[in-house]
Amino acid sequence: MITLRGINKTYGKKKQRFQALKDIDLEIPDGASVAIVGKSGSGKSTLMHVMSGLDRPQSGEVVVDGQDILKLKAKAVDRFRSEKMGFIFQAFFVQGNESSFHNVSLPLEIAKVSRGKRKKMILEALERVEMTDKAQERARNLSGGQKQRLAIARAIVAKPSILFADEPTGNLDSTTGEHIEELLFDLNKQQGVTLVIVTHDRDLASRCDIRVNIKDGAIQSIETPKRPKAKGGKS
Amino acid sequence: MNAFDLIQRAGRSLGNAKVRTVLTSLAIGVGAFTLTATLAAGNGIRDYTDRLISNNFDPAELIVGRDAEIENNGAPNSSPKEYDESVSSLTVGGDGSSLQVKQVTSEDVEELKKYDFVEQVRPNYQVQARYVTTPGNDKRYTLTLQAYNPGQKPELEAGKLPERGDIKNGTLLLPMSYVQLLGFKNAADAIGKEVSIATAQPFTEEALQEYFMNLQMGTMSGEESATPEPTEQLTTYKVAAVTKQGAASLSFAGLPIMLSNEDTGALYDFTTEGTQNHGKYVYVYVRVKGGEDEQKALDAKAELKEDGYYVQTSQDIQKTITQFVDVLQILVGVFGVITVVASVFGIINTMYISVLERTREIGLMKALGMRGRDVAWLFRIEAAWIGFLGGVIGAGIAYGVGTALNPWLTETLGLGEGNSILIFDFGQIAILILSLILVAIIAGWFPARKAAKLDPIEALRTE
Repeated sequence: MITLRGINKTYGKKKQRFQALKDIDLEIPDGASVAIVGKSGSGKSTLMHVMSGLDRPQSGEVVVDGQDILKLKAKAVDRFRSEKMGFIFQAFFVQGNESSFHNVSLPLEIAKVSRGKRKKMILEALERVEMTDKAQERARNLSGGQKQRLAIARAIVAKPSILFADEPTGNLDSTTGEHIEELLFDLNKQQGVTLVIVTHDRDLASRCDIRVNIKDGAIQSIETPKRPKAKGGKS
Repeated sequence: MNAFDLIQRAGRSLGNAKVRTVLTSLAIGVGAFTLTATLAAGNGIRDYTDRLISNNFDPAELIVGRDAEIENNGAPNSSPKEYDESVSSLTVGGDGSSLQVKQVTSEDVEELKKYDFVEQVRPNYQVQARYVTTPGNDKRYTLTLQAYNPGQKPELEAGKLPERGDIKNGTLLLPMSYVQLLGFKNAADAIGKEVSIATAQPFTEEALQEYFMNLQMGTMSGEESATPEPTEQLTTYKVAAVTKQGAASLSFAGLPIMLSNEDTGALYDFTTEGTQNHGKYVYVYVRVKGGEDEQKALDAKAELKEDGYYVQTSQDIQKTITQFVDVLQILVGVFGVITVVASVFGIINTMYISVLERTREIGLMKALGMRGRDVAWLFRIEAAWIGFLGGVIGAGIAYGVGTALNPWLTETLGLGEGNSILIFDFGQIAILILSLILVAIIAGWFPARKAAKLDPIEALRTE
């Protein structure tokens, strides 16, 4: 469960002052799939950064699994991220010079998982995204879709409870994009991972349990196309 | 992240920029090469001088003189000194320059023998011999003469030396180089054979006066006057042993013919009789009881110095040589260190480029929860790898080239067999490489800190 209360985030000072997030209240139940939808510059990425503890708002609370992460020290937030959260980016951000295996290994190394346990977890994650045969391939030699599958394997290898995806299909053609979408929703449905997707793709958003529309840093509306699961927000 | 994972990741990311890594490493490698070679040369020269000293100087023997120059390590500083009977002129150097040296007198020798710690006093006889020959042979050869020192046995080609003490009076040690010249078949053949040494007594003052008197009278009477003949003496000795040039011999003029102390003394007396050098020696060798113990030698030195003698121990001689080596080594070492310092800027530059190139990667790692400190160490270890590589390349090349050239260098420098001018000490090399790793880590400190402070959100901005 992720609960945001009264989040305000501003950038810059005085005349250049820009309010990126305005009084955000939001509740995301465990296992839900959430789409944060808005135009570029609307603050949707900032919202994701705040939820994941990458960015610190000036005011408000971010409660993840009962813990206000804004009250934690930087070191604890880092550990929190490495243990509970997975990230997928529009530009993949795979390490081109490293093999697929070592790419997926990175979060485990950061979380200080012992060498003995790592191999099994990495191979499991690669198998989940059907990339086992590319384990020793350098990431730079993979296609776009393979890179994003690799990024998903890296995001899920440490078995996080929350998966953040920032425009996961933005750099992919529609067929490959659909394949990635399937993969993400499968993880959400089968393993109960909370999925938070930042997107401006209406189709992708419509497949989510909850759709949060954001404009100029404020929540415009919260829609629950399939079944209501979320409460709160300003409308 | 644990250290091992960091080291592996750092190593792999270096492997991806091979050319840059190798070039940066080479810069530090030049320093490593210079330093390794310098250290090896220092070891070699020190080892060589150690052998030189132990083969040529008896540690129990002190060189004792009356003149301060004795302690001046062969760098004479001939300042004017008060005249007394014991000062005499000594010719040094090929240019005939002379040095006024206050000498040790026979009375001093008797005084020296009275000290408790003195086992033996052996004057340094400088005998001017004319030639060496064999009875019944008209070929004559030049020679240098020296008294045998039981404390430093020469290497032998044939014959035997007494276990302790001096060689028998009436015998001599013949260098190998004379064996053929004097008509012996081989070294073994020469043993027990007779060899004669010719010495001459210089003109005494009376003889000279007589000559001038005769000359004057001769011009007056119109008669030719007889030029005075120097009194020549031919002494015959039996060959006790044949010596050969040792691997670490300090004799630049070839080996001397050695006589017993008494025989040498007799020749010295004969050749100096009537001159101002008679019964005077530039220095004498004083053998200290149990003087192989450095402390005893030093105690004896202190006591003798109190009584107005000037003393050099074999350690002093060694110090003189090693001092020179040390200065040389420091000079070359400074160049090595300068090279390393220069390469530091290369490492800093490379590391900044690496950080810049991998901004997104750093952002990703931080987004995944990697600590800033670990990110910094990832880059510091990368720098450490560069230092390690440079050290291994430099030291490796120095070792390879040095080992290959060692026989040639040793031969060119004429050090003799069994010596080597370059001695590689793997402990030293390991310490050198570790130091270079440390230097590289320090060089990578600021670029690494920049990486650690990178804001992941900024770093991950796709545009």
